[in-house]
Amino acid sequence: MSILETKKLTKRFDGVVAINGLSIGIEAETITGIVGPNGSGKTTLINVLSGMLPFENGSVRVNNAENLRVIRPRNIPLYGITRTFQNIRLFEQMTVLDNIMVVLTKRNVFSALFERHTAYRLKQAEDVLRAVNLWEKRNDLAINLSYGQRKLLEIARALAMQSDIFLLDEPFAGLFPEMVKTVSGIIKDLKDHRKTVVLIEHNMNLIRELCDHVIVMDGGVLLSQGVPERVLAEKKVIEAYLGK
Amino acid sequence: MDIIPQIIANSIIAGSVYTLIAVSFNLIYGATKFFNITHGVMTAIGAYAVFFFGKQMGLSVWVAVLIGVLIAGMIGWLLDRFIYRPLREKKASQLALLVASLGAFTVLQALIAIIFTSRFQTLTHGVGVQKTFEIAGGIITQTQVLIVIAALVVTAGLMFFLKCTRFGKAVRAVSDDNEVSKIIGINTDRIIGIIFFIGSAIAGLAGILVGFDTAIEPTMGLVLLLKGVIAAIVGGIGSIYGGAIGALLLGFVENFGIIKIASEWKDAIAFGLLILFLIFRPRGIVRT
Ligand SMILES: Nc1ncnc2c1ncn2[C@@H]1O[C@H](COP(=O)(O)OP(=O)(O)O)[C@@H](O)[C@H]1O
Ligand SMILES: [Mg+2]
Repeated sequence: MSILETKKLTKRFDGVVAINGLSIGIEAETITGIVGPNGSGKTTLINVLSGMLPFENGSVRVNNAENLRVIRPRNIPLYGITRTFQNIRLFEQMTVLDNIMVVLTKRNVFSALFERHTAYRLKQAEDVLRAVNLWEKRNDLAINLSYGQRKLLEIARALAMQSDIFLLDEPFAGLFPEMVKTVSGIIKDLKDHRKTVVLIEHNMNLIRELCDHVIVMDGGVLLSQGVPERVLAEKKVIEAYLGK
Repeated sequence: MDIIPQIIANSIIAGSVYTLIAVSFNLIYGATKFFNITHGVMTAIGAYAVFFFGKQMGLSVWVAVLIGVLIAGMIGWLLDRFIYRPLREKKASQLALLVASLGAFTVLQALIAIIFTSRFQTLTHGVGVQKTFEIAGGIITQTQVLIVIAALVVTAGLMFFLKCTRFGKAVRAVSDDNEVSKIIGINTDRIIGIIFFIGSAIAGLAGILVGFDTAIEPTMGLVLLLKGVIAAIVGGIGSIYGGAIGALLLGFVENFGIIKIASEWKDAIAFGLLILFLIFRPRGIVRT
């Protein structure tokens, strides 16, 4: 059964219909690729699913929450969702380590008031930072990292959330080959740990390598979906990418 | 007699008062990004609470001060909970929030005047009962010593709190990116509420200390707010230590500025400093 589902989802920006009656389902414990030309509504879909944009029509079902018509950002962790951003969003003025520690903060504000890190939390932070090779950089400010390192830190922050569903918006864009390997390793590892990954990506080789399922969007609608080998060979999909 | 030591002492004292306002203003501004005018009236709320509980009800000074600080904090929290937070939820503009806080400022100030009249009042029982100290040729009263200590403790305390505690990290995260903070599970409204409490309590303390040092009146908040905000902008809006540095600079510039001219020029000097910074270094000393 799908863990995340949209029904006739529609999102408009003034004149533009960015998502147009989209109905899709994401299977639990799989890696789903979302592809489509620029402006096809992929980022908007993730923004809507992570509660960062309201939507006009349709509904969303996630984990056990049925028929959501409004998704509140503060409920996103409760739904077991975490995400990364196409345009990286870190806590720029905080250190690499604190960007992770802040995620590991106890949800109870009052007990966190005067508390400093415990050894246990530090170990958790160390694990995710080592996974992206940033442990050595832990005391640098996020703003001083290179583009690729910032991208990796954002992925590490998502890992620290220990969610069920990871929505990753172009996590490979602009990365050096070394870093691409690191990130694809992490994504495979998430699947091995029975997590669900939704991956927006333009590199079809990566889609073929990683994804169980691929969804093709074009102009805010579902163009095609299925196993990557078949879908990526479809004429209408190739045309959508190359332009008609 | 050499007047320089006294001017230095006066600069530090004024700078300390401005520090209390500027750092607490910046704390709230950092987390909410709106220009919280009501912050000024918290000084009068704290001072009048002490006037009421200490002088009129006869509670001991320390108890009255504690109550005054807590009441200021509590009113700050309530304003956020029932005015600013609903506005934030409705995605109101910064301008709408500013106007709302101007309204709250006016209402609270008027309430104080209605309850306590607009007369000047003192918090102490007599004049000249204060102990004074001489430091390197400058005379400074007991209250003024407390003002300087309070400014140091509050600034250092806030900086430690923000840097080293988990709650502080969450505050910095909210200040940096409220939306992302929400989706990683930080209860941003709760955090902002607590920030309002802490910031307003500090402003209340400033008003109380000013009250013991000079006198109180319902409108005392406006000039304190203006000086605090000038210090905050000069130092770096939203930054704690920027606020403290800006406040100290403002204290020195004001007091050294009036060596040769009438002290009525103080406010003009303060605005002159603000304008210079807005033109030549708009992001303040620490460049936020
Ligand atoms: N915040 C926004 N305001 C107005 N239009 C937007 C906004 N975000 C996206 N759009 C529009 O929605 C469409 C889909 O954009 P997007 O979801 O970013 O596409 P993709 O991620 O597939 O490249 C585009 O036409 C884009 O211009
Ligand atoms: Mg995009």
